[in-house]
Amino acid sequence: MPDLDLTAVAPNVAPGAAAPATAPSTRSKRHGVHFLNLLRYAAVLAGAVVMLFPFLWTVITSITPEGSLAGGPTLIVKNPTLAAYRTLLDTLPMWRILVNSLWVAVASTLLQLVTGSMAAYGFARLPFKGKNVVFALYLATLMVPMQVLVVPLFIEMKTLNLQDTYMALLAPSIASAFGVFLLRQAVESVPRELDEAATIDGAGHLRIFTTIILPLIRPALATVAVFAFMGSWNSFLWPLVVIRSPEFMTLPLGLATLHGQFTTEWDVVMAGSVFSILPIAVAYLLAQRHIIAGVAHTGIK
Amino acid sequence: MRNTVRRSVAPVIAAGLALALGACAQGSATKTDAAASNGPTTVRYMNFSANGGHEKDLDAIKAAFEKANPDIKVQIETTPYDNYFTKLQTAVAGGTAGDAFELNYENFVTYASNGSLAELKNVDGSKYKPSLLKAFSAEGKQYGLPESFSNVVLFFNKDLFKAAGMGEPTADWTWKDEQAAAAKLTDKGKKVWGDYQPISFFEFYKALGQSGGEFLSADKKTATFNTDAGKAAAEFLVSKAGKSMPTEADGAGTPDFDSKLFKSGKLAMWHTGIWMFSGMADAKFDWDIAVEPGNTTKASAMFTNGAVVSARSKNQAAAQKWVTFLTSSDEMAQKRLETSWELPPVADEAQLATYLDAGKPANRQAVFDSLDATVLPPVIERQQEMQDAVTKELTTAAAGRKSVATALADAEKAVNALLK
Amino acid sequence: MTTRARWRKAGWVLFFLAPSAVPLLLFTVAPMVSSVWVSLNRWNLISPMEWVGFDNYRSLLTDPQTHTVFLHTLVYCVGYLPLVFAGGLGLALALNQRLAGRSFFRAAYFLPVVTSWVVVALVWKWLLNPTNGLVNTLLGAVGLPQPGWWTDPTWALPAVILSSAWKDLGFVMVIMLAGLQAIPGDILEAATADGANAWQRFWRITLPLLSPSTFFVVVISLINGFQVFDQVYVMTGGGPSGSSQVVVGQVYDLTFRYGRAGEASALSWILFSVILLITAVQIRGQRRWVHYA
Repeated sequence: MPDLDLTAVAPNVAPGAAAPATAPSTRSKRHGVHFLNLLRYAAVLAGAVVMLFPFLWTVITSITPEGSLAGGPTLIVKNPTLAAYRTLLDTLPMWRILVNSLWVAVASTLLQLVTGSMAAYGFARLPFKGKNVVFALYLATLMVPMQVLVVPLFIEMKTLNLQDTYMALLAPSIASAFGVFLLRQAVESVPRELDEAATIDGAGHLRIFTTIILPLIRPALATVAVFAFMGSWNSFLWPLVVIRSPEFMTLPLGLATLHGQFTTEWDVVMAGSVFSILPIAVAYLLAQRHIIAGVAHTGIK
Repeated sequence: MRNTVRRSVAPVIAAGLALALGACAQGSATKTDAAASNGPTTVRYMNFSANGGHEKDLDAIKAAFEKANPDIKVQIETTPYDNYFTKLQTAVAGGTAGDAFELNYENFVTYASNGSLAELKNVDGSKYKPSLLKAFSAEGKQYGLPESFSNVVLFFNKDLFKAAGMGEPTADWTWKDEQAAAAKLTDKGKKVWGDYQPISFFEFYKALGQSGGEFLSADKKTATFNTDAGKAAAEFLVSKAGKSMPTEADGAGTPDFDSKLFKSGKLAMWHTGIWMFSGMADAKFDWDIAVEPGNTTKASAMFTNGAVVSARSKNQAAAQKWVTFLTSSDEMAQKRLETSWELPPVADEAQLATYLDAGKPANRQAVFDSLDATVLPPVIERQQEMQDAVTKELTTAAAGRKSVATALADAEKAVNALLK
Repeated sequence: MTTRARWRKAGWVLFFLAPSAVPLLLFTVAPMVSSVWVSLNRWNLISPMEWVGFDNYRSLLTDPQTHTVFLHTLVYCVGYLPLVFAGGLGLALALNQRLAGRSFFRAAYFLPVVTSWVVVALVWKWLLNPTNGLVNTLLGAVGLPQPGWWTDPTWALPAVILSSAWKDLGFVMVIMLAGLQAIPGDILEAATADGANAWQRFWRITLPLLSPSTFFVVVISLINGFQVFDQVYVMTGGGPSGSSQVVVGQVYDLTFRYGRAGEASALSWILFSVILLITAVQIRGQRRWVHYA
């Protein structure tokens, strides 16, 4: 493969330099700027409402009594009821399912952060022959859809006698080329002078990695964490095929059982969806602080 | 800053590795594939029909079986229908399919023809309805046992018929009667529709049967539905769109559309299966059923699910015992009737007597009368592709994008290509 | 370099790469290799495989259905990318300023990204319901024509594109925000002092400095876009009349519904080549327009 300069593909997600600039407004421009700001604010707010509306609707449908579901989308509920949630908790072992999904998602996330950041360091800081080819191979793993890998992977799991285990659930998400991709560029943008300074102080690769690089790529790590969590949380096809025992059931599988062959109880399905969305939303809110943390850290330049 | 960061990063890495190792340890703890040599035999049974409200009923049947057979334990795995075959095929490919599993008639043929199923020997055929038992045999050998069956009937809204001063559908009705009634009962202004019938492969081969036609030739090498009977059937179905039922653009054909329409009292006649009884039980109007009107003859669509034993199972005898109990025991028949969980495939119709008095609809006898002239789905090796092709052509015709004649001809071409 | 040093260096490379390389090799590359083997066979998953060599590739490449699904997939990417990029960039620009409730907005816009398609599809199917969905109700209220969306072969794919772009706006926003925050404020201040207006600042400074982020978004979006599946499967199933069927949808149907796993694998390897080619072209071409600080 000809020289593919893959080093600079991912964006600069590492903490940037100075704080973002806000153009100072002169007195004569103040009113104009005010109005523009107001307009922008209104647009952003409207957009946010549009973004939130489907989620709001999910919540509203979940508290609508089943009889009144026949109509179209509404934002008003006449007799809100928690019956759907009660049915949901009766039909599915929700707590077990949530714990399973949470466990697998947290494990995947941590694993991807560890394996991804280490690989990123390897690609960004260790020169070696064939680096581009290896990285291209990493990227190539993103280009074959899961639908095609599912059957061979399942047979592989069966051969290793790992089917129907937590390990099988985790296996495809221990490492992710997407994370390696993102993290690599983050590491690239950490100035090598810092490495050099630490080397002079006697630090080896491991120490540089843990004490210098990792803290400085926190936003990228947080970003990868969110996507890893999300990918695992919503994963359906692989768990469907590899899990047999009800005690390993994850949330998407559980929610799928709410769709009957002939009819579906939409209020219950929506209640299940609320359970599905909330934890990731919380995970994102927690991670968000770190993702945008780049603003605060200016100590590099 | 450096020290605190180092202290917080290392534990994270350690935690990650610990979790990974923990996963390895957890994983190997649950292996129940090998049958214990001294303990009870375990039979794994995969199914889809229990999903959506009947899990407890299946568990009850299992409990009754285990009581009668203390040396056999049954492990049930239920997957929703939509995902069942994805899971089953992958399991078969990987050699982890259950000892016994459920198949609907349309898929049975594929599995039976390639050696995935164990032959069931010494089956007491007298317990089953002959037509159903035959459906699950191939080349004269029994490869499965019918587990349940259901059929399609004509639902109708008695209140709407009464309000229009019209006679209700009877077993003697023909298409002409149905179309006439539909026209009178459709009131687009009030958004009331006269007659809903899904436009799909399943309705087509049945309508074809009602017109005296055959879908495939006897040797299954040619499609034989592009005939006058076929055109009549296709026309019958396609002409309803926009006239006696909403069009696809209005949402017809989307999940739950028809059931919602009927339940809201806005549909006078509805072609659907008996599985809808429990869903409509609390409808706010009076309704009943009738045998579906035929054209030149009567024909009712029948669907049946069966239980099979995997050829690769190490516990075939035990699995066959379970499958026999599941498909012919009195406990099973009773459970099904009690909970309206499709109909047990039993030969003795007296056992089904309780079904007739189980509540709405009043005319449950129509369900059994429909069995006098049934048509099973035509099944070929490339089944799903055939179904998709026919449904696609019919819906295209219904949406007005093709003429019925062209659609039928294209469908014939597509199906013949699949038969090679 | 001494042999000792060479071994030590190799050791470090192994140490840092092995934790990701080994799982990727075992659990992604191995099945990939198996699927190449499957693509050279005929297999319905439940019977033994049957060797057919390159027949699957030959029949697929000449099958009009293959061309159709590739066309649809291409249309999807071409429609989706500008929408999601422009929207995400606009959002990032708007939310880069000091704004009351900024964190709330960022979370709101990111919420759809983290929601599974099963849920989002339900919502959008009801939103774009041709008869009484919110969108058509609004369009009707202002007298605009109401497309058939899911039921119209012309509008099914656009409906998928719209909902996909909506869902992923937050993803692009997050990436672009990080990129925006990496732009040194002094450059923009200097430009303002030199008399550049907002548009000039954006076009001449911000956008070029954002090009690494843009590049990442475009590469990843195309890699993912060509493999679009979940939303099509849940919302249209490829219909009506196959008007929204995409390559991976066809792969899924071939594997699990039609029992033609060999052809499914072959199709996905054809797709792989296309994605690889496009990615390689982009990476080569980045020298022209991507500026690194």
